[in-house]
Amino acid sequence: MRKNTLDFRSLRVGDAVTPMDLDLTATFVVAGAIATRDFMPVHHDRDYAATQGSPNIFLNILSDTGYCSRFLTDWAGPEAAVRKLAIRLGVPAYAGSRLEFTGSVTSLAEADGEGLVEIAFRATNDQGDHVSGTAVIGLPLGAGR
Amino acid sequence: MPEGTSAERKAYEAMQACIGKPIGPTGTGPDPVNQPMIRHWAAAFEDENPVYTDPAFAAKTRFGGIVAPPLMLQTWTMPTPKLTGIGERGGSPTEGSVNVLAPLDEAGFVATLATNSEFEVLRYLRLGESVSTETILESVSERKRTRLGPGHFVTWVTTYRAGDEVVGRQMFRMLKFKPDVEALLK
Repeated sequence: MRKNTLDFRSLRVGDAVTPMDLDLTATFVVAGAIATRDFMPVHHDRDYAATQGSPNIFLNILSDTGYCSRFLTDWAGPEAAVRKLAIRLGVPAYAGSRLEFTGSVTSLAEADGEGLVEIAFRATNDQGDHVSGTAVIGLPLGAGR
Repeated sequence: MPEGTSAERKAYEAMQACIGKPIGPTGTGPDPVNQPMIRHWAAAFEDENPVYTDPAFAAKTRFGGIVAPPLMLQTWTMPTPKLTGIGERGGSPTEGSVNVLAPLDEAGFVATLATNSEFEVLRYLRLGESVSTETILESVSERKRTRLGPGHFVTWVTTYRAGDEVVGRQMFRMLKFKPDVEALLK
């Protein structure tokens, strides 16, 4: 991730968020589920997942929102604050797949002493959109740090 | 004429009676915001943001010290699981919980798939803060046919507080469905 937070005034609508690629091994699926305290067997037990019609274990939604916030702050820097995050889930993200996050700035505004950056983004795999969503992050006003 | 068996329609009616009412999990999370759980979370997502784990770095930022990853909000209040048998694998029973979705489970809608999550983060949390939640069942859809099998979309809205202060809000939607395993594995 970048070490210096983005300068709000350097941003323009249409700017791309730095893409993030994930190789979702079973280890990551299980680590994410347990770190978010989600013990549903479909996120750690492949045999059980098969009885529910899934060919493999798949990412839980708390892991999705976790990866979304990492995607945003890896790009924006440590003093960026996630203010809103709205995601819709599409195709599942199974263990063994690759997930690619992309996004861009859709609007810029100043409010409450912060620069607010609205972003539209998606995370896709070989089946299509796994996540599509929007977010607002707040950046400190003033020079980039 | 609504679709589904009479048992399914009864389950739907039982759920309608809960709309607008508080549902679990409610109350205060089992542990306050703490560094070990944050470190575990950051490692799981390979999130190297130093404001989560580096006290010296975090102290020099506008946060003034370590803050919890904002999307851990839901994690702090996830109830402690009771793993034995874990609801014969399908569910995730928790200590002292009442499953408000039990009527749907009993009618065969045993599988769960999250579909939407919308967070508003009013402020970041610091180490030592305790998070409490209040969750209201907002809606339960009529029986829908989905590519996974028939099911109901269940939506709830959660308010997160640290002390009396509202620190975040979340809308969460899931599909409770009867898996059509043959169709899915085709």
